[in-house]
Amino acid sequence: MNGWTGQILRVNLTAKTFKKESFSEEFARKWIGGRGFAAKILFDELKPGIDPLGPDNKFIVALGPIAGIPAPNTGKAVVAGKSPMTGGYGDGNLGTRVAEQLRKAGYDALIVEGKAERPTMLYIEDDKVEFLPADAVWGQGTYATNDWIYAKYGKGVGVLNIGQGGENMVRYAVVRSLEGRAGGRTGMGAVMGSKLLKAVVVKGTKPIPQADPQGMKKIGHDDLREVHEIDKKTGWSIQSTNGVLAWCNEVAALPVRNFRKTHHPDAWKVDGERLNNARIATYGCPNCTMRCGITIHDDEGRESELDYENIGLLGPNLEIFDLPQVGSLNYLCDEYGIDTMSAGCVMSFYADAIDHGAVAGDFKFGDAPGAKKLLGLIARREGEIGNLLAEGSLRAARKFGNGSEAYAMQVKGLEVAAYNCKFIPGMALAFGVSPIGAHHKEAWVITFELKQTLRESYGPEKAKKVIELQRIRGGLFEYMVSCRFPWIELGWSLENYPKYFKLATGLDWTLDDFWTISDRIYALMKLFWLREYPQTDRKLDYPPAVWFDPTNADTEGPIAGKVLEYDKYDGLLQHYYDIRGYDKRGIPTKATLERLGLAEEAKAAEKFGSVT
Amino acid sequence: MKVTVKLIGPFVQAFGFSEKEMNVPAETTADGLVALVNIDKARPKIVTRNGRAVAPDEALADGDRVVISPIYSGG
Repeated sequence: MNGWTGQILRVNLTAKTFKKESFSEEFARKWIGGRGFAAKILFDELKPGIDPLGPDNKFIVALGPIAGIPAPNTGKAVVAGKSPMTGGYGDGNLGTRVAEQLRKAGYDALIVEGKAERPTMLYIEDDKVEFLPADAVWGQGTYATNDWIYAKYGKGVGVLNIGQGGENMVRYAVVRSLEGRAGGRTGMGAVMGSKLLKAVVVKGTKPIPQADPQGMKKIGHDDLREVHEIDKKTGWSIQSTNGVLAWCNEVAALPVRNFRKTHHPDAWKVDGERLNNARIATYGCPNCTMRCGITIHDDEGRESELDYENIGLLGPNLEIFDLPQVGSLNYLCDEYGIDTMSAGCVMSFYADAIDHGAVAGDFKFGDAPGAKKLLGLIARREGEIGNLLAEGSLRAARKFGNGSEAYAMQVKGLEVAAYNCKFIPGMALAFGVSPIGAHHKEAWVITFELKQTLRESYGPEKAKKVIELQRIRGGLFEYMVSCRFPWIELGWSLENYPKYFKLATGLDWTLDDFWTISDRIYALMKLFWLREYPQTDRKLDYPPAVWFDPTNADTEGPIAGKVLEYDKYDGLLQHYYDIRGYDKRGIPTKATLERLGLAEEAKAAEKFGSVT
Repeated sequence: MKVTVKLIGPFVQAFGFSEKEMNVPAETTADGLVALVNIDKARPKIVTRNGRAVAPDEALADGDRVVISPIYSGG
């Protein structure tokens, strides 16, 4: 089989055993890799109802047929498991040398099962697997852990590790790699921590099997160069992802004060220009052509690698408009290994709940020193409030009561990304129907809504656009696996990806072939959710209630007086279900599942929930 | 008439300013303003007027705040 190694490494931490398992060409062609492999393995192997933080959950690292080979932005890996945040399917994606090293070690995926007896580092080198003690770094942050690993093995190895957040099973703990890369905001760091798995270190020396290795080498290197030239010409990476902050502020889409407001006169202080001016280094993933990790000194002189989501949710969302202070909060999240996005939204929710009298406390918006302290409490689950906020905003809201659930900014238990959708219906839909809980990575439609349609429209064109983008962003790039930025930000043609796929596998597929696979994986993720939540309802696909609250409308600015409307949103959601072939609960129908080759999976799901 | 023009992201470097007030002829359209700032018509962009999308041939008014941005796509 070309393109795939054809092998999955299965490791059992309880028994300290491992084995190599082959997968068939049929499996490869049906699921491709990355999210596809992860969704299928988790659906087949996890019993519904297991504790995501218990030993029955599995931690998966999944790659795809173009991961790790020299081509634009192929240094990314999918991490997956049942989500401690949502209780549904969970995954994430981060830049890491593990992408290349695991493939060169001879594996397209790693499955970690069980629970170790003591803090453990898994060391994988080709056919060798070692279960090594990690007591020396248990209790330490991700930077110290990374340094410890590099001191042992050199800097060329692939490393995934966790900080105190993962060790203490903060529900939004992430997996960390390299300088500032992080992924798995659905709680994949907590899954590692629950298994006492401090780190996975990988070294590989074998060639990655490819159909046309010479062709791939030439085209891969040519394209790496060409995409880099496009970035230089367009200047995208001058302000990188944070270029959008000023724009969001102008069009009333910025998260300010727990998403209560949509713009702020001080937003310029943390915008892309200021970030670029403060730059002291730039980091990126392996094989990156347009490194997005603008790094500054935080207010304690430490290197802090920032992107828009970090800044948006730890900055304006907390009404903190000082870049070094935001840098500090970001640094601490990376050090502790907790998701900057959820951390920002949890803290903004807490400040908002205190402000609205739902709970007693003294944490205020704008309080950067207070936020730093709070992050420490969360990472160590220290005290009543540290322990509660470590559970995420939805669980905290259920404890606070007093109507606070309306402004816990989450969908299905996962906090939203840094786009204030109180009057952006299509983007609200994107959050509502993201398969892992609110996330912008699946679909981002704000420019489309403003430029190609009407902001106030709830028409089917918006549902269609969300699906089109899900197929690419949440589909193609998540199973090939590679970063979507060259395409989405620099206009690198999507046709390049079937081209890389053919050079790797020898298979001559069209993009339409890939859309069917994307639809299949999305439907399977839905079945995973159905088994966990048999009473599921379309209400789970709604964005936060506060976005529908007329008393929360802006009082001035471009969207003054406007909020989302329930009936209209429900209509937009129905368009989404109709186009996808899902029933009124948002579950794929039997006919859809048959069409997507999921008849067996449908039968398995029916043992727990109904398929109509 | 006076309008404020703000550029976003790499347009700042490309076209030499971040934000400025401009005196433009009355009846200048959105497209007309883009040309006055020397941004090529073919260059992908989104133009908003006072925070709302604006048609290329829409006439601007005195005091407008016009933002010209490359197309961001959510990263």
